[in-house]
Amino acid sequence: MELTGLSTEQAPPITAPVRFFVTAPLFGILAGLLIFFTDAPTLMNRYSIESIIITHALTIGFLSFIMLGSMTQMLPVLAGAKMPKVELVTKYSYILMVVGVISMLLGLYTSNRLLNIIAFIGLGSGFLTMLIATALSLKTVSNFNATVKGISTSIVFAFFVVLMGLYLLYSYISDDIDSTHMIVANIHSVWAVFGFAVILIIGVAFQVLPMFYVAPKFKAFCKKRVVWLISIGLVIWMFLSAFYEEYTLAGKLWIAVFVWAFATTVWLKLSRRRRPISDVTVWYWRSASVFLTLGSFLWIFDEYFKHEYIVMVAILIGGFILSIVIGMLYKIVPFLVWFHLNGMGYMSIPTINEMINKRVAQIQFILFIASLIGFIFSFYMQNLLQVSAISFIISMVLLEYNVISPVLIYMKTKKTKPDFDMSMFEAPKE
Amino acid sequence: MSTIKEFLSADHSKCDGIFANMEEKAGESLLSARELCEEFKSQTEKHFQMEERVMFLEFENKTGMTQGPTAMMRQEHTQMRALMSQMLEAIDADNKDKFFGLSETLMILLQQHNMKEEQMLYPMAQQHLAADSDRIVSMMESLIVE
Repeated sequence: MELTGLSTEQAPPITAPVRFFVTAPLFGILAGLLIFFTDAPTLMNRYSIESIIITHALTIGFLSFIMLGSMTQMLPVLAGAKMPKVELVTKYSYILMVVGVISMLLGLYTSNRLLNIIAFIGLGSGFLTMLIATALSLKTVSNFNATVKGISTSIVFAFFVVLMGLYLLYSYISDDIDSTHMIVANIHSVWAVFGFAVILIIGVAFQVLPMFYVAPKFKAFCKKRVVWLISIGLVIWMFLSAFYEEYTLAGKLWIAVFVWAFATTVWLKLSRRRRPISDVTVWYWRSASVFLTLGSFLWIFDEYFKHEYIVMVAILIGGFILSIVIGMLYKIVPFLVWFHLNGMGYMSIPTINEMINKRVAQIQFILFIASLIGFIFSFYMQNLLQVSAISFIISMVLLEYNVISPVLIYMKTKKTKPDFDMSMFEAPKE
Repeated sequence: MSTIKEFLSADHSKCDGIFANMEEKAGESLLSARELCEEFKSQTEKHFQMEERVMFLEFENKTGMTQGPTAMMRQEHTQMRALMSQMLEAIDADNKDKFFGLSETLMILLQQHNMKEEQMLYPMAQQHLAADSDRIVSMMESLIVE
């Protein structure tokens, strides 16, 4: 058991996750701008290059950055595991991933082989370094609870998702896009969404919901079986979609049922929480639950309509993941700033609520939800797309504001040293 | 008799319950939440002392680790004690924003602290102190808060 994870001195430096958190909304803004300048029919085709670029600005630039950044903080707290050489690993992975994702977006858009090669190297080495470092830290955990199992399973899926992603990128580099490319692309996207993101969120939710909201604990069946059941469903679905495409519905049903059950459970747990406070993070969990429920059902429904609604499914399930991730950012960033400053001996620092502008957070939430609803309805009213894109861009700007504000407080406090006082931590006199 | 881990984890849940009630009451009227805030403070203080004066000492004697996890937990206890005192001050000043800012900060600090204890320290303590588990739980139950 890695008890050193409990020590402040050995806890990851605040820069490890924060560099990812501060950058992520910028990719959200970029994705919004790309949506704004793209027409609706192009975006309705999941295989159009514009759709692929926008999807990856969000999935890599926004979601992966936040999820992997959070991992550096979550591992010591949830699992008692410390990432080896965390500052070095996160600094270089971050640089590689930023260069990689920007090169990929530009490379795919301009069909530039050199940029795609840089993206291949940057994303491959950046992602694999983070994933291997996480896996190594998880190896030291002896108390393998439901949350650790969820995180570990999601890392396994992430590993395959990255390898498949690299194969797909290599297809663009070698200009060899055949039928296998489409099959791999399909598995890559479904495993990324359900295998990595959804399973990671489920694992973390087992701890976070009861802890932060004093909600009822998840049932033993849920904690012990759901991650495995979804994982088995994903493997079955993969074989069916690769070899027996006409039966993929069975695999989809299997996954969707358990995912929907989780979404419903989250809603019920929140309704029965003992902590009455209803802040923007609770709204995000609620909206996530609705998006996941609708997305799961539409994924099944879509099977009967020749995948006509698959982009709508992506918006809904993407909405679920984005909602959770943004909601958690509002908890994690101000807490990290407070925790690190307080641990250094600064006593009269703002509280968590004072670091985030609540009104801005509420407006950000409304604009974000409005943009997702707008994106869905732009299938029928194409004029809505640009308005929704503007709403999404503003919501991401506001999110960036709320992420940067606590970080600026941290920097200012460290610089001005207003009330440095370690007396509180001195040993009592005998 | 429950194990050290079960006993202390159950006490975490008990404190969480009082905390939730206190926030609910504070939502209605801050001054009316004073009693619950004091109850939460005293229950949490008892929990801290059960750890600091009994379990941590036993653990440190058994393992020889005095500057490791228990030192870190003591430091976080100190941070939480300061926050609880500030919450009472916010009630006295009838400053709702300050109170909820402090309670949110305390809640997250408390929960990540509890997670670390329940996931790591308690199982470790149970492993090292299994033979004396009943005695230690009994000592914690009968502890008089200083």
